[in-house]
Amino acid sequence: MAILGQLAFTGLAIGGVYALIALGIVLIYRATNVVNFAQGEFCMLGAYALVFISQGARVDYFLAAAVALVLMAVLGLLFALGLYYPLRNRSFLPVIIATIGASIMFQNGALAVFGPSPEKLRPVIEAGPTGGVMLGGVFFDYQYVVILGVTLVLVVTQYAFFEYTLLGKKMQATSQDKDMARLLGIPVTLMIALTFVYSTVLGGLAGMLVAPIYFVTHKMGAVLGLKAFAVTIAGGFGDVRGAIAGGLALGVIETFGAAYVSVVYKDAFAFLLLILFLLFRPQGIFGEKVAEKA
Amino acid sequence: MKGSVQRLAGLLAGITAVAAGALPTAAQPKGTPVKIGQIVSITGEGAESGQYMRWGAELAVEQANSAGGIKGRPVQLVFEDDKTTNPGAVAALQRLLEDREIAGVLGPIRSTQIQALLPTVNEAGLPVMIGGSNYGLTHSGSRWVFRTRPHDGFSARVIAKFAVDDLKFKKIAVIHSTDAFGSGGRDLVVQELTKLGRPPVLVQGYNNGEKDFTAVLTAVRQSGADGLITYMTFSTDVGIMAKQIKQLGIKAAWLGSPSITAIDGRKLAGDALYGTYGVTDFHADASPKSREFAAAYRAKHGSTPDLYAASSYDAMLVLAEAMRRAPDLRPDSIRTAILGIQNFWGAEYVYNFDDNGDGLDHYHIVRNENDAIKLFKTIRVPRS
Amino acid sequence: MGRGRPGAAAIALGLPLVIALPLAVTTRYGTNLLILAAALSISTLGLTVLLGYAGQISLAQATFFGIGAYAVALGTSRGGMDWWLALPLGLGAATAAGVVLGMTTLKLGGHYLAMVTICFQIIFSQIATNWVAVTGGPDGISGIRRPRFFIPLDTAQQYAWFALGALFLVGVGVWFLRDSALGRSMRAVRDNELAAEALGVDSLRVKVTAFALSAAIAALGGALYASGFRYISPDSFGLDQSIEVLAMALAGGADAVPGSIVGGFLLTFLPEWLRDLKRIYLVVYGAVIILVILFMPEGLWGWARLVGRRLARPRPLPPARRPLAVGGRGEAGETILALENLGKHFGGLKAVDGVDFAVRRGEVHALIGPNGSGKTTCINLISGLYRPSFGRIRFLGREVAGMRPNRIARRGMARTFQNIRLFRDLSVWENVLVGAQRALGGEAAVRERAAAAIEFVGLEGQAAERARNLPYGTQKLVEIARALAGTPELLLLDEPGAGLNQSEKQELVDLLKRLRAHGLTMLLVEHDMSLVTQLSEAITVLNFGKKISEGKPDDVLADPVVVEAYLGNRDAALGLAREHA
Repeated sequence: MAILGQLAFTGLAIGGVYALIALGIVLIYRATNVVNFAQGEFCMLGAYALVFISQGARVDYFLAAAVALVLMAVLGLLFALGLYYPLRNRSFLPVIIATIGASIMFQNGALAVFGPSPEKLRPVIEAGPTGGVMLGGVFFDYQYVVILGVTLVLVVTQYAFFEYTLLGKKMQATSQDKDMARLLGIPVTLMIALTFVYSTVLGGLAGMLVAPIYFVTHKMGAVLGLKAFAVTIAGGFGDVRGAIAGGLALGVIETFGAAYVSVVYKDAFAFLLLILFLLFRPQGIFGEKVAEKA
Repeated sequence: MKGSVQRLAGLLAGITAVAAGALPTAAQPKGTPVKIGQIVSITGEGAESGQYMRWGAELAVEQANSAGGIKGRPVQLVFEDDKTTNPGAVAALQRLLEDREIAGVLGPIRSTQIQALLPTVNEAGLPVMIGGSNYGLTHSGSRWVFRTRPHDGFSARVIAKFAVDDLKFKKIAVIHSTDAFGSGGRDLVVQELTKLGRPPVLVQGYNNGEKDFTAVLTAVRQSGADGLITYMTFSTDVGIMAKQIKQLGIKAAWLGSPSITAIDGRKLAGDALYGTYGVTDFHADASPKSREFAAAYRAKHGSTPDLYAASSYDAMLVLAEAMRRAPDLRPDSIRTAILGIQNFWGAEYVYNFDDNGDGLDHYHIVRNENDAIKLFKTIRVPRS
Repeated sequence: MGRGRPGAAAIALGLPLVIALPLAVTTRYGTNLLILAAALSISTLGLTVLLGYAGQISLAQATFFGIGAYAVALGTSRGGMDWWLALPLGLGAATAAGVVLGMTTLKLGGHYLAMVTICFQIIFSQIATNWVAVTGGPDGISGIRRPRFFIPLDTAQQYAWFALGALFLVGVGVWFLRDSALGRSMRAVRDNELAAEALGVDSLRVKVTAFALSAAIAALGGALYASGFRYISPDSFGLDQSIEVLAMALAGGADAVPGSIVGGFLLTFLPEWLRDLKRIYLVVYGAVIILVILFMPEGLWGWARLVGRRLARPRPLPPARRPLAVGGRGEAGETILALENLGKHFGGLKAVDGVDFAVRRGEVHALIGPNGSGKTTCINLISGLYRPSFGRIRFLGREVAGMRPNRIARRGMARTFQNIRLFRDLSVWENVLVGAQRALGGEAAVRERAAAAIEFVGLEGQAAERARNLPYGTQKLVEIARALAGTPELLLLDEPGAGLNQSEKQELVDLLKRLRAHGLTMLLVEHDMSLVTQLSEAITVLNFGKKISEGKPDDVLADPVVVEAYLGNRDAALGLAREHA
């Protein structure tokens, strides 16, 4: 019983990580129809930013985190202007490749600057020798609890923002029809820039939260990004609920799959499921079938 | 008190420097350099350890030159980046081979890269010093590879023997990475354990870069293992697993492959690795020669050397020694000379080359005592 | 029709280059790079077919490369097989895998397809790494032998000739594919899949074929790679390598053979040239990819071709020997299309709700009604773009409701679209050729029909123009020519007059009258009543998805029900009706 509990908690927790990263991907996609293959690298860069700041000077953790997030915001702005903006009218393929190119640049840039040795980050809650608490035979890592909590708060906040604030509605309008939004006086470029900034900050935050568990290396974003991407699709592109549900599901499936099927083929197994999901329910978990007008 | 010691040291250093400069230059080698190529990771994942390997080889070159070089000629090291990939290693070797004057090569430490190189090495017919521990590397019929680390056949035997006889493991779980190193190690250690009458109760693989060992550790717990034997390639993974072992409260003693002693893993795992045992082919306290090497290395770079630096140092050391002993620098002469090296101390341990090109047959057992890696015991394995 | 000078020049240069390069490169290391570049360029040529021609994205190219490599490796080193036997086995396995992947396009495209190919690639990497018994696991496979050939292939230089020669042959093959019927169909699917389907192209089969071909080509590249380096391990066949090949295709220019080869060579040699930058060279590599995407969207070769195109003069169209055969076989007056209680509901919206009418051979039948009455939905149902919710459609005696559009098209139906759906990157000539492929006959017959159709609409002068460069009215004519080229029995026209000015409309009317005079049966959806009255013998009127009137034009247009439907006011309607009568 304890084993099931442990697998369930760990699965949900890892799923929370995927969901958190998927949130950023979904946002950018909703606003720009662009799938950002560099989202995982935003996580990695956020973690490195925090490492850099908090190790360079003896700074309070939370202050350092805030500064790191500001840096990520700046990066998001540069990304929007330098990469997305020039390609905004092209088809999706060049954009995908450009974001892949950006991801290669970021990964290797981080390697060149910080070196290949992994870095350590302290967890948000520093308590106890193990960083968590053992309840009923199940170990609850505080950091995972924080991740799940943050994801929940972000999802609720985001939902409220998009549904109930004017700015949120403007951003939704931009994502559905840029030209019409422009005609209505919505500053489209600003909206898109805001979306990228928020998404980058979200990615950086995810990286900072994940780093104490996974350690910071230049490759940490690669697999995370890929899985979060898969989750976004399984959840139905552009659907936040789907991304969250998909993320949690993937985490649980993976963990149970590793325990009961094969540790070694765990990734292959997860991706195979994704293929099947895409084939038989491409509209995602919550999506509706949309018929195209000829 | 401190100030005066410092001043004294400075004075002595100054005198030594002047003296060295004033010494007759007969000891300084001159003439066309003897070029040795080194295939090393300058970029890619292996960049960090690649740097240590460079430093190790460079130190050996410096020492060789201050001892008169090879047959009066200075030794010159030429690097090529293998990018930590197989095709990169092959390309690096080929670039080195373009320079006809390269007399020998210091090869990579990763077994998979060495395997990729073998066809080219055999074609080129040049002595290549290797550091990979995969058993098959010296048993694939090549005449040109010479190993300055003990291979995994030995590590497996040492691990198995120590685990059963000394640590008294009863139920053993073998955790291994799925790459060449991990799978090869697993096969050999399972074989040895079975010979000793203690076949493992669990053999579990995982992929390099795994972030969560819950499933693996759950299996460990369920197997009731009281001892863990691991062949893990990357010390980052060691660090993560160590943390989780502590968190999940798994009580099993741990004897691991060299990555368990590496500084990255210890930095990440903190006290979760205290009390664990590891096997490694290099420890600074193992012999007078290793102490000497560690001191020189520390003096130059300010840090303790690891097995990457040591094996690379020895590779250069052995090669230079063989070139000194050989009548000329033709590949066959160098080869004969290397194989003739017996009872020769290097930073790793004592070298006795056999016909396959294996020079070492030892492993050190070390223990992580509050983050200091202490030498516990050195075991030599009789060659079969 | 020529393809311009730059391409032909590249081919002519190809063979001498194959011979000269291994001689020019004197270092062993450089020769090995040539072999690597050749193998990777072949893989990239696979992407030319899949991405460049058929417009399907794939991040799994390294998988097929790997299958070819492992087949040859396992075959020659473990199985003791002859290379020439191991190779076809590898090609076959890769083709089968390509078909499997291609079948997923039945349901997916765009980002989804990209994701599926990524998953496929990762699964392959995991299997290659972990199925140690078969693949040797991370240790890989060594001792791979080289093929026996007319010349020995033992030295690097000899093998480089072999590899470059293979590259040349594949390049020529892919080059010729572009202008073949299959190549045209692929490009049509890429530009506008819906229109291609409606013109008789079996888009699923085309996509699967593209995947299969690209997989086989990549496998050949992998086989050459394996024998070239005599050792393979799984880390050469992962997602990173797939991305690399895709970058090669895009940097060089995905839809052209010389482009892929340029891209392949450039991105193989570039890391070596950048080697001196040491730690940051990969950063520069990533930056180069981005810069090429930003500033050279069609790749290096595309840019070269643009320059070349300005210099080349288009060759004139060869004249058709026979005029277009318009009008079908069979007796005038027989019913060739009949709708029985046809309906289509979209969720709660009843777009078409139980419509019956029939079209007789040789007549021009108009389908009219206010906006939203279901006219276009009807056309889409008839041509197979939608599946009916209920009801039947009989065309030439066969039940076609729910049949795939390309099958209906090949039975003799053709259509134009309300929003023009031309293949924008194809020329007028190529657009019409695709339409001509629908009917039977070999390539010569196809070309005859296409030429005749173009002459019929009077567009000989613009045959070489890219469709996207034409003015709106001309594009409409091209659509009609494209539909006619397949000598259909029934032509569906969806608002052909929309967006045309008066003189253009008159030209259209004249054209359609000529078609009528030749006996072609047409079903016409239109808003412009003068067009309707000039052309049609029978009218069916829809409103809210139901038929409200039917009959000869004068009767129907005087029908107060019809007038009310358009004007919405009963008294005004009656007034108008009295005026009209």
